[in-house]
Amino acid sequence: MTADGATPTLYDISTGMAMSLMQEIAERLGILAEGGEPHAIDLLGIPMSKRDRDELEAMLGRGEVEVTLDVAGASRLWETQYSGVWWIRHFGEGERVASERIEIVPVPEILSAHRLDMAAAARRLSDELAQANEPIPQEESAHV
Amino acid sequence: MSEQETIGELLVKRGISRRALLKYAGYLASVMALPPTSSTAMAQALANARRQSVIWLSFQECTGCTESLTRSFSPTIEDMIFDLISLDYHETLQAVSGYAAEEARMQAMKENKGKYVVVVDGSVSTKDGGVYSANAGKTNLETLQETAKDALALISVGTCAAFGGIPHAKPNPTGAVPVSDIITDKPIINIPGCPPIAEAIAGTVAYLVTFGKIPELDHLGRPKAFFGDTIHDRCYRRPFYDKGLFAKSFDDEGARNGWCLYEVGCKGPVTYNACATLKWNGGVSFPIQSGHGCLGCSEPDFWDRGGFYKPLSSWTGGNAAIIGGAAAAGAVVGAASALLARRRKASASGEKGS
Amino acid sequence: MSLLDFARGPALEYAFAIFLFGILWRIASLFLLPRAKDRSVPRPGAPAAAVSAARGFVRHMWLRPPYGQSTVFALVNGYIFHVGLAIIVFGFGPHILFINGLTGLSWPNLPSGVISVVSVVTLAALAAALVRRLTSPVLRLLSGFNDYMSWLVTTAPVLTGLLAVSHLGAKYETLLAVHILSIAVFLIWFPFGKLFHAFLVFVTRSQTGAFYGRRGVQI
Repeated sequence: MTADGATPTLYDISTGMAMSLMQEIAERLGILAEGGEPHAIDLLGIPMSKRDRDELEAMLGRGEVEVTLDVAGASRLWETQYSGVWWIRHFGEGERVASERIEIVPVPEILSAHRLDMAAAARRLSDELAQANEPIPQEESAHV
Repeated sequence: MSEQETIGELLVKRGISRRALLKYAGYLASVMALPPTSSTAMAQALANARRQSVIWLSFQECTGCTESLTRSFSPTIEDMIFDLISLDYHETLQAVSGYAAEEARMQAMKENKGKYVVVVDGSVSTKDGGVYSANAGKTNLETLQETAKDALALISVGTCAAFGGIPHAKPNPTGAVPVSDIITDKPIINIPGCPPIAEAIAGTVAYLVTFGKIPELDHLGRPKAFFGDTIHDRCYRRPFYDKGLFAKSFDDEGARNGWCLYEVGCKGPVTYNACATLKWNGGVSFPIQSGHGCLGCSEPDFWDRGGFYKPLSSWTGGNAAIIGGAAAAGAVVGAASALLARRRKASASGEKGS
Repeated sequence: MSLLDFARGPALEYAFAIFLFGILWRIASLFLLPRAKDRSVPRPGAPAAAVSAARGFVRHMWLRPPYGQSTVFALVNGYIFHVGLAIIVFGFGPHILFINGLTGLSWPNLPSGVISVVSVVTLAALAAALVRRLTSPVLRLLSGFNDYMSWLVTTAPVLTGLLAVSHLGAKYETLLAVHILSIAVFLIWFPFGKLFHAFLVFVTRSQTGAFYGRRGVQI
């Protein structure tokens, strides 16, 4: 039985949590727009019914960007219809949502490549290029 | 096998990007109820940390705790914990056996003296010198004392290690005790549960690695992040309790409607654990959602608290001899005092008559 | 053993044993006492003793006119907390479960919200009873340890029960344990203090009724 099917009555209740989260998001987005700090809201730590979650998702809507990450499992990120408000959903084992948060930030940090990763990538790339530029060994070229 | 390189360097070597670490830190912040904005700093701290050497000791246990931790499939966010630790000894999981296995433990203890973490699952037998549970020619008691001596901290995983658990249940034939009864001079974190939730085990270890300190604990040594609320407080059936709607048996209308299970013995109101929020088997369900009351498995002596199906508000006694004896004694004493009064009266009227 | 385990187990068991011992001791010693035969001549047309007893009991349930309004408050207040206590003890789901565990009897429970309201009203009435006892000069002179103790052991379970249900002030397991322990104290005190009126009220009022019915003037 699915989590929702077990107790349809309770999972269907709208508690008004979506609306109060919208208030928080609006306030924080205002702060960010005026040069303030980014903010994040962990949705798993908030007692929300499935209905609440659906309501919040509908209220925030979809914006211009949608990204799929494939790192330590799948993740889906999208900017909502409000610029700077991002919905970030990380999947864990078996398609379940392992972590879900709203980030109020110009670009979620997870999208930027890290300096060390770039350094490692640069090394790898130059290694590969160096390998490609090496003179091709004689005996192998004979087969081509 | 302990690593001198940092976790960040190790991940780069393995081709795992910093995004994975950031994602893991976010996940960790979420399960440990830390501020979500702290995940960047946590990822940085993790990257700079060295892998934590862990020695895992299995005593009087059923391996359910190890099962709980390892039941996830790659590549997922949950099993990144194994990139953060260097599991230097684990009887069930390690490939080597015999002398080589014990040698690995000794080596890890020597190389990481004062820095390794000892995870214990299972209780420690103490009766008759602890002979009821032994391996590699040593009793669990000896192994624990020897391994804990130079440890940074101990983590008691599961109710057996934390509180004695099932081996400790009456009549406790092996004299089983929790780790904290044996080791008193080291910090001990208890992660009880039968078994504990995988996220609670991994989250606590990750916290230790990330922040290099022990998370905030409750009066029973349990991390408050996972054991701060009762099952009842976070139970999705709580509104039914508040309304007074209870299932009276496991197949009545109330049970089918998903009403509160208090009357069929749910121990949720007095049990501190995260089952109602983190849930089990990859978030599928938890006992109450599956229609059974909470057994209270993360609390001390849960096995001996008067029965899983006895409601919390009912008494757990029921010794007919005490109750019946008291009633009979009361009646006898009462009758005797009345008889005395009668006799006094009779003798008084006898004197009057003479 | 945690406080809750102690409360649910040994504390309740021994309290209940003492309760039963006390009840049976007092009832047996009272009813097996030799009774003096009433040698007076009954007044003409006196009803049977049982009828007088029943009449006397009913008559005592409300004020007689000569007393006027002076004690109406005490009477009404007394009814409020007695009825309230009965509703709480016999109407609350977990209490029915407790009684069921002891006797095997069971009946439908009232909604928890109703019990909470009744508890608050009962608590207010009990507080009013204490205030009256403390402020009335006559009552104060008449009151002793027994009265205050009986008030305390009656009020404590209502208060602790309310706190436990609303999770106020401490952890639930502590509140529940304290509540159960307060019941244990109530059970232990019950047979030996003035709370025993719960049994004796029927005996004393019937006895008085029978006595007045045989002698006295017709009313």
